[in-house]
Amino acid sequence: MGAFVNPRWLVGSAAVAAFLVVWQIVGANEIIRSDLVSYPTEIAASARELAASGELGANALATLREFAEGFAPAIVVGVLLGLGFALSKIVRNLFEPLFVAMYTAPLIAFVPLLVVWFGVGSTSKSVTTFLAAVVPIAINTTTGVRETQESWIRACRAFGATRAQIVAKAILPGALPVVMAGLRLAVGRAIVGVVAAEMYVSTLGVGRLIQTYSTAGRAAEIFVLVGVVAGFGFVCVGLLRVLENRLAPWRARA
Amino acid sequence: MSERAQSLVLGVLGFALLIAAWEICARNGLVNPVVVSSPSRIAAAFARQWASGDLATDLATSAVEFAVGFGAAMVAGVAIGLAMGLNRFVEYAVDPFVWFVYASPLIAFYPLLIVWLGFGFATVVTVAFLLSFVSIAVNTLAGVHAVDPSHMRAVLAFGGGKRDLVFKVVLPASVPHILAGARIGLGRALHGVVLGEMFGSNDGLGYSITRYAAQLKTADVFVPLITLVVLGVAINQASGLLEARLLRWRA
Amino acid sequence: MTQLVVQGLRLEYPAARGGAPFLALSDVDLAVEKGEFVTIVGPSGCGKSTMLMLIAALLRPTRGAVSLNGQPVAAPGPDRALVFQDFALLPWRNVLKNVELGLEMQGVAAAKRTDIARKNIDMVGLRAFERHYPHQLSGGMRQRVGIARALSVDPEVLLMDEPFGALDAQIRQVMGSELLHIWERDRKTILFVTHDIDEAIYLADRIVVMSASPGRVVQQIKVDLPRPRGLSIRTSAKFNEYRETLWNLLEEQVRQSGSWARGEGGA
Ligand SMILES: Nc1ncnc2c1ncn2[C@@H]1O[C@H](COP(=O)(O)OP(=O)(O)OP(=O)(O)O)[C@@H](O)[C@H]1O
Ligand SMILES: [Mg+2]
Repeated sequence: MGAFVNPRWLVGSAAVAAFLVVWQIVGANEIIRSDLVSYPTEIAASARELAASGELGANALATLREFAEGFAPAIVVGVLLGLGFALSKIVRNLFEPLFVAMYTAPLIAFVPLLVVWFGVGSTSKSVTTFLAAVVPIAINTTTGVRETQESWIRACRAFGATRAQIVAKAILPGALPVVMAGLRLAVGRAIVGVVAAEMYVSTLGVGRLIQTYSTAGRAAEIFVLVGVVAGFGFVCVGLLRVLENRLAPWRARA
Repeated sequence: MSERAQSLVLGVLGFALLIAAWEICARNGLVNPVVVSSPSRIAAAFARQWASGDLATDLATSAVEFAVGFGAAMVAGVAIGLAMGLNRFVEYAVDPFVWFVYASPLIAFYPLLIVWLGFGFATVVTVAFLLSFVSIAVNTLAGVHAVDPSHMRAVLAFGGGKRDLVFKVVLPASVPHILAGARIGLGRALHGVVLGEMFGSNDGLGYSITRYAAQLKTADVFVPLITLVVLGVAINQASGLLEARLLRWRA
Repeated sequence: MTQLVVQGLRLEYPAARGGAPFLALSDVDLAVEKGEFVTIVGPSGCGKSTMLMLIAALLRPTRGAVSLNGQPVAAPGPDRALVFQDFALLPWRNVLKNVELGLEMQGVAAAKRTDIARKNIDMVGLRAFERHYPHQLSGGMRQRVGIARALSVDPEVLLMDEPFGALDAQIRQVMGSELLHIWERDRKTILFVTHDIDEAIYLADRIVVMSASPGRVVQQIKVDLPRPRGLSIRTSAKFNEYRETLWNLLEEQVRQSGSWARGEGGA
């Protein structure tokens, strides 16, 4: 076969291009009220403006900080909790139902309460991020540990490994791919959580910005900001994939 | 004691410990009982909201929005997933949009929805629908991709047409995937209902949470909140049981 | 000097839900001299792997005991190294790191670890593959990693559970004579489980024949073939005699158990 362009890519971008053209015509000619749907060139202009004024940068940075301050401890706590669930039946039976309840409940419902408890500032957003992320990380760590193979543990024991060594050398690395999948889930939940929490009430952040432009009826800016958030999600998931490929190259065709 | 009974007892014990510790902290002033509330205050608020009928009204509103939003998502999700799975060009063309809907914080568009659909029911249902249908569509697509070609050949060999292929092979074979997608979709639809109610409605459990929170009535916040958590668990359990029943043939 | 003593060893695997416990080994007695090469043959499922795991102390005997140099064996340790039938490699470690595993447990410094591991990787002929991961290796190569890993801890007793099981016949013979070289140099005590009758004779000072499940020792055969042994010894008349004796013994056991191991037990 020759150098055919990948049809998936070709058809996909053609569809997106067609959509953009129709959108532009509909919006720019006010076939539908442009303050509601906006149109691509207006959105591009708004994007440039937002970026140039520094408004986007400052708010994005604030959101990023809240996200990082919630997500980092969520990794540590989630992995430790997951290990506890997997290695101790008592811990598991005591606390897993609580966790499953947290997992199936709509997280956003907790945000108003968190704001009452932690204030309208960045702390309540970091806590939201933490709660959104910690549960899938813990649950996946448990699953990952439960799926570790008996032969890996046997190999370590045969050479006289202590309990701690077995955890460090067989259980954790074995569970890593599933833990990474948990991190990807967590990133998605946490991003939506932090932005929605900022929209609910906040002083700074991308969600705050979305809320401001919403009340002002500015569709173009909203599209820009939604794009920024979605882009951040893509970047995070992409980074996690790169990290996973570095940390767990053995998964290739295992 | 059997394993099951033991885990049940410990699970209940976990909840009981949490509630007891909380109550004790609140009574001894270790935490501020007004801000943090306490189990006994929450129980009282529960009784109050139940007696006044507020809770029932909220629950009914949210339940209807949830049912309509999820029902529509189920129909649309399976239809879109099937269309994508049966035709490669549809799949390639729709794929980028599906992923955009999946990856973006859709709630950001709520002001637009309010302008189009008005404050309340229609907006909430739409948010629930949008959040939920993508996971159903994506899973349906995966199900169609996973259909065993030999089963399709069997139908074709006995003179079946495209219709037969869809209804006798593709759909039934995709059921496990569709159900898995539906299960994710259920959670996302509930999430959508709450989001929609918080930002675009004056009714329902989600709205009540924000209203009580704005009045700093923490104990009252917990009533719709706990109701939602229970609802989430119940929906998840029920769908799990249903899934197990429907998939008995898989052994 | 007697080094390893197995006395009245019995092992029951705990019952699965509602069933009776499974008796895998009943009253195994065995004494192994220091530096002796003992091969173990027996029908599939008779408990050979179980016995090696008991000696390695990965399992606790239901009754009986194992002792090494007069000391009872209670926990796994670097004095006994096991080459697993199922390799038991860690998939996230490359060959070098897998071979270093046992040395890490002993707290050997990193640089020294790498040195020792490299030497043993060389010995099993995997020098070019030390950066490969297990999933990139053939079955036979994986098994050689397992052998290098066991040799690296410099054990007194080497427990080898069908270490050549995944190799084709030719490599198998070469690896066998390689192993003899190593053994003749270091004179480690070796317990070597195999399904291959020729291999059992070729390598052994003594062959232990086990009964069908539950496993017992039914007979021990001293192999009086001169050492060092070349590959040509397999065609000698004496070798043929051993082959016939062993074949008959095994056939009887297998007939009793009603199952012939994976059809590869023959010579
Ligand atoms: N963990 C276990 N639980 C219960 N039964 C077991 C377990 N491991 C092994 N067995 C049983 O114990 C018997 C002995 O197993 P073992 O693996 O020691 O046999 P083997 O002689 O090494 O067989 P092979 O030659 O096929 O490797 C078998 O019947 C097996 O089914
Ligand atoms: Mg075995």
